[in-house]
Amino acid sequence: MVRFVARRLISMALVLFAISILTFLIVQAIPNGDPAQRLAGRTSTPETVAAIRRTWGFDKPIYVQYAITMKKVFTGTVISYHQQVNVLGEIRRDLPATLSLSIGAGILWLAAGVGFGLFSAITAGRFTDRALTALSLVGVSTPVFLVGAVMLYLLAFKLGIFPNGGYVPLTQDPIQWLYHLLLPWTALSVLFVGIYSRVLRSNVLDTINEDFVRTARAKGLAERRVLVHHVLRNSMVPIVSLWGLDFAAVIGGGAILTESVFNLQGVGQYAAQSIGALDVPPVLVVTMFGAFFVVMLSAVVDVLYAALDPRIRLSG
Amino acid sequence: MSKPIRLILGSAGAMALALALSACGGGGGGQNAATGGGKQGGAATVLMGTAPDFLDPAQGYTTQSAEATWITYTPLLTYKHAPAPQGTELIPGLAQSLPQISPDGRTYTLTLRKGLVFSSGKPVKASDFAYTIQRAIKANWGGKSFFTGNIAGASAFDKGSAKTISGITTDDATGKITIKLVKAYGAFPNVLAFPAAGLVPKGTPTRNLSASPPPGVGPYMITKVTPNRTFTLVKNPRFVGLDIPDIPKGNLDRITVNITSNTQSEAQQVLNDQADAFDAGDTLPPALLSQIQSRAKDRFSKETIPSTFYFFLNTRLKPFNNEKARQAVNYALDKRALSRLASGFLDPECYFIPKGLTGHPDAPCPYGDPNQAPDLAKAKQLVQQSGTAGTKIVVWGQMRSPRREYVDYYTSVLNKIGYKATPKIISDETYFPTIGNAKTRAQTGFADWIQDFPNPSDFYLLLDGSAIQPTNNQNFGLVNDPHIQSELARLNKVPTTKLGSVAKDWQALDQYVAGKGYVAVYGSEKLPKFLSSRLNFDAAVFHPLYLNDWSSWSLK
Amino acid sequence: MATQPAAADTAPPPAVERFAGDEGPRPAAGIGPYRLAARRLGRNRVALAFGALFLVIVALCLCAPLYARHVAHTGPNDNHVTDTVLVGGEVRDVVSPQGIPTGPTWHGRFLLGADANGRDIAVRLLYGGRNSLEVGFVATALTMVLAALIGLLAGYFRGPLDGVLARVLDLIWAYPAVLLGVALGTALALGGLNLGLFKLSGNSLLVPAVIIGVVYVPYVAKPIRGQVLGLREKEFVDAARTQGMRSAQIMSAELLPNVASTLIVFLPLIVANAILLEAGLSYLGAGVQDPNPSWGTMISDGIRLIPSAIHLTLVPGVMLVAAVLGINVFGDGVRDALDPRAQVRLEH
Repeated sequence: MVRFVARRLISMALVLFAISILTFLIVQAIPNGDPAQRLAGRTSTPETVAAIRRTWGFDKPIYVQYAITMKKVFTGTVISYHQQVNVLGEIRRDLPATLSLSIGAGILWLAAGVGFGLFSAITAGRFTDRALTALSLVGVSTPVFLVGAVMLYLLAFKLGIFPNGGYVPLTQDPIQWLYHLLLPWTALSVLFVGIYSRVLRSNVLDTINEDFVRTARAKGLAERRVLVHHVLRNSMVPIVSLWGLDFAAVIGGGAILTESVFNLQGVGQYAAQSIGALDVPPVLVVTMFGAFFVVMLSAVVDVLYAALDPRIRLSG
Repeated sequence: MSKPIRLILGSAGAMALALALSACGGGGGGQNAATGGGKQGGAATVLMGTAPDFLDPAQGYTTQSAEATWITYTPLLTYKHAPAPQGTELIPGLAQSLPQISPDGRTYTLTLRKGLVFSSGKPVKASDFAYTIQRAIKANWGGKSFFTGNIAGASAFDKGSAKTISGITTDDATGKITIKLVKAYGAFPNVLAFPAAGLVPKGTPTRNLSASPPPGVGPYMITKVTPNRTFTLVKNPRFVGLDIPDIPKGNLDRITVNITSNTQSEAQQVLNDQADAFDAGDTLPPALLSQIQSRAKDRFSKETIPSTFYFFLNTRLKPFNNEKARQAVNYALDKRALSRLASGFLDPECYFIPKGLTGHPDAPCPYGDPNQAPDLAKAKQLVQQSGTAGTKIVVWGQMRSPRREYVDYYTSVLNKIGYKATPKIISDETYFPTIGNAKTRAQTGFADWIQDFPNPSDFYLLLDGSAIQPTNNQNFGLVNDPHIQSELARLNKVPTTKLGSVAKDWQALDQYVAGKGYVAVYGSEKLPKFLSSRLNFDAAVFHPLYLNDWSSWSLK
Repeated sequence: MATQPAAADTAPPPAVERFAGDEGPRPAAGIGPYRLAARRLGRNRVALAFGALFLVIVALCLCAPLYARHVAHTGPNDNHVTDTVLVGGEVRDVVSPQGIPTGPTWHGRFLLGADANGRDIAVRLLYGGRNSLEVGFVATALTMVLAALIGLLAGYFRGPLDGVLARVLDLIWAYPAVLLGVALGTALALGGLNLGLFKLSGNSLLVPAVIIGVVYVPYVAKPIRGQVLGLREKEFVDAARTQGMRSAQIMSAELLPNVASTLIVFLPLIVANAILLEAGLSYLGAGVQDPNPSWGTMISDGIRLIPSAIHLTLVPGVMLVAAVLGINVFGDGVRDALDPRAQVRLEH
C-alpha cells in the first residue's frame, strides 16, 4: 500500500511536470505570440515593446522563463499578462462556481444514472426500457453546449422561468444559487446520465444471472431485498470508480463548455478566456490545476476500488 | 462668466440664496452643470460585457476604462460633458484656462487652479502633473508614445537616462506648469486631456493599482474593485467644494459596474429594468433589437461616434500595390451589406476622416453612393485592367462578431471580382500585433480606428509613412505617399484650437486618399445608448469620446 | 483496473471496461467469430437502421457539390447579404437590415434558410458535414493506428519501453482534454505548424483532426496493452517465437488479429466522440477554421442569434445529433455482436 502510494505520487509529479512544460511550450512558443507586443498595446513604439520585454523577462531563454514562471506559481505570486492580476487569486475567486457546478451535477448524474439504469434493467425488454435506452443514446450523442443553448433559449429566454445564465454565490443567496444552477446541472448531466444508465443496466443484467443472486432468490428473499442488497451493490462498484474519474475530469477543465454556455464565470471559463487571449500564466496554472485533480482523484479511485473489490490487487 | 458670480458673492443675501439653491439643487432640477443638473442621490447599475483593461489611469487604454477614469481623474484639460458635437470641445480641467502656446508651437504654459484637493484630501500641486506623466510612462501606458514622442526629455526618461522629464517644469507655489515639446504638435492639447494624464498624487506607486485605484480629482472615486467582476464608483465628497466650472459634480451617489460576459442577458436585464445601463462598448445582440425597439423606444438610441472601419490594403504587396486593384475593391464593397452584418450599427461611409470630425469631406464618394448598390461591373473591369486577376489573397480578420462576418463577406466579394481569397481569422488579442508585424506580410484585412481625440491627425497616424515600424505597426497598408507626408508635416502642426482654419486642407487630403484607394473604408460605428426606465434618458449625455457620461445620469 | 475517465463534456463510452481484461486467445486464423458476429449484427434491425441513417448522411454530404451547383446555385462561402429571395410570391430579404437572416424557404434557394452572412444553410450543412465527418474519420484513424502501435509495443516488449509509453499515455490522459484541444487549436490556428517536411496551415482540417486523434489514444491503447500482456504468455505466441518469427512479425501476424475485435468495437465510438469533440472545440473557437464550415462552427455561430433565428442552431444541431446517434447505435450493435456475453443480455 505504502509502495503503491509512493509510486503513484512520483508518477503524478512527473506527469504534472511534463504537462506544465508542454503547456508552456504550446502557448508561449507560437508565432506572433510575443506577449510583449500584446502587452504594449496597439499604438506602441518598438522601444516600449523592448522595455516590456525586459521588465517581464521575455528576453530570457525560454527555459529560464519557464523556471521563473514555475517559481512564481509555487510562491503564489504569478501575475497574468492581461490585466496583470494574481492568477491564484482569480482561481480562488472562480473555484466556488466550478465546484458548485461539478459537485451538483455529479450528484445529479449519479442519482439519475443509477435510477434510470436500474429501472431500465428491471423492465428490460419492455417499453420503458427501450424508451430510456433510446433517451440515453440521444443523451450521449448531443453536444453539451447545444443542450445548454437550447435550454437557455426555451426556458430562460422564451418562457422566462429560469435566469439567463450567470452565477450567484451560495453565501450570497442560497435560493438564487440553486435557481441559477439547475439548468447547468441538468445540461452537464445529460451526457453522463446516458452513459451511467447504460453501464448500470448492463451490470445489473449481468449480475442478476450470477450464482449468488440465484441463491439469494432461491432462499426466498424478497425481490426488492435481492435487488438492493445483492444486485445493485455489486453493480455499483464500477460505477463508483467511473464517477470518481469523470468527476475529476469535469473539475479539471471538463466543465469548460458548460461554464461558457451558462456564463458561470468559473475556472473553466477563465481558462477559455485566457487561452483566447494567449495569456500564458493562467493557462499554465489552470491546466496544472485540472491535471492535478485528474491524477489525484484517479489514484483515490484506484485505492477505493481495491477496497471495494478484494479481487483487485494494487500495482503502480 | 466669472464676473456675475463675483457680483453675487459680493452680497450676503445673494450668497445665502445660492447656498439654498445648491442645497435643494436636485429637487429643483435646474440645468446647472455645477450641480449635475438632475435629482440628487440614488444608485445605478451598469452592465459591461468587456471588463476595462485597467482601472489605474496610468495603464487604462480601452473605452471601458476611460468611461470610469475620465470622471475620476481629471487632467489639466478635458472635454465638455456634452453630446456631439460640443462634446469634442476642449475645456480647462484642473488648469485655469486653455494653454498658452508659444508662436513656434513648442512651449505650452498652463496654471493649476487654486485650492484643488485629491479625493484623499491631499492638496493638488503642480509637481503632481510631472509625476503623473512620469508614472504613466513607467507603467508602460498603451499610448505613452504620445508623451515620449512629443515632450522634450520624456524619451530619455523612458530609456532611464534621465531621472525626470526635462521638458516639464512646475512651480508648486504659483501652480505654473511649462511643457516643452520636441517639435510643434497641434494635437498636444488633446494629449493633455487623456485620462492617463489625469492627476494622481506624487509618490503614488508605479505598479498597477487597478485593484485599489489611487486618489484623483473628479466627481467620482473608484472603490470596491474585484478584477473582472465588479467595481463601484462613489461620489467624491471633496470634489463638490472645488470650483471647476463645466465639470458636473454628479447626481447619483453610487454607480456599480458589473462585468458579465453575456451581452444577451445584459440587454435583457436592462430591458426589464433589472439593471440600469447596457455598456455602449458592447454589441447589442441583434436578436433582441426588435424587442428593444418596440418595448424601450424612449430609452434606446443609436449614436454614431467618430470612427472609421476599413479594410487595409497593403500597398507594397500584390495585388494591392496596384492602384486599380485597390480602386476595384472600393467599387465592389457593398457598404449596405456590411451595415447589415453589424445589425445596422454601421453608418455606410467612404472617407477615412469620419463624420463629426473636422476635415470630413462634403464631396460625394468617388466610388458611388455608399447607401446604394456597388458597381461590381466596374470593379471586375478594373481587376482585369490591373492584370492582377487570379492573385491569391489571404484576408486577415478578428474572431469577434461582427468583425469575423465582415471579413467573410469581404473574402466573398474578392472572389467575386476575380481573386482567389481565403479568410484567416485569429484571436482578438493577437490580431493587431500579428498584422502589424512586418514578417506577417499581411495583404489585406480588417482594421478600425476609434478616435482617441477629436483631431484628424489622430486618424492620419494610420496612413503616416514615417510611422511605419517593424512591429506593432499601425500603418497596416504601409502607405507612404509623398503628398500625404508633406501635407501631414504642415497640418499636424496646427493647434487643435485652430483646426477650423485648415478644415479645407484636411478635406482635400482625405479626398486624395480616397481617390488613390489606399484604404477601403466602409463606415462609422454606431453604438447603443440603452438605459433603464429609472434613469433620465434625455439628460444622460452620450459623449463622443467617452461614451456614457455617468456623471450626467440621474434618477427620474 | 482499467476504467477510464471520460473526457468530461465529450466522454468516450465505457465499453472499455469489458475489453480491458485478459481474454482468451481467439484463433488468429479462422474468421469464424467475425462471421458469427456479422450474423448477429444482421439480426439487429435497429442497429442496422441507424447504421443506414449514418450512411445516408455521409452520402448526402458527399453530394454537397452537386446540391450546391444544381439545386441551390451557390457555393458554401458565397455571401448574399443584400440579395432577396422569392418565397411564395413574396420578396424577402436574405438578411434583414437589422441583420436577421431568413428562415427556411423550403425551395431550392435557401431551402433551410440563410445565415448572418447570407450564405445558404443547406449548402453549408452538407459541406460542413463533409468537414465534420472528415475530421471524425481522420482523427479516428489516427487514434486507432497510434493506439494499436503503442498497445502492441508496450504490451509485447514490456520493461522500460512499456514504462515510457505508459507515462506518455498518462500524460495525454491527465491533460484536460478540452483545454489541450483549445490551447493547441488556438495556437495552431494562428500560425499553423511547420516541422520541416510536415507542414500544416492554420486553417487545415488536419489541425483539429490531429488534436482529437491524439486525445483519444489512451482510451484505446490502455486496453489493447492489457490484452497483449495476456496474449504474449499464450502458447501460440511461444510457438511463433520458437519458429523464429521476429517480434514485428509476431505483433502484426499473431497479436494484431487478436486485438482487432477490440479495435473494431472502439471504431464507431471514437468516430462519434471525435465528431462531438470537434463541435466542442469549434464552440470555443479552436476547431475547424474559416472558411471551412463544420457542424460545430455552424452551431456555435448560430447560438449568437438563437432568439431571432433558431434555425441556425437547430439545423446543424439536428444533423449532428442524427449522425452521432446513428453511429452510436450502430456501434452498440457491433459491440453486442462481438461480445460473447451479448446473448446473456438478449434473454431479458
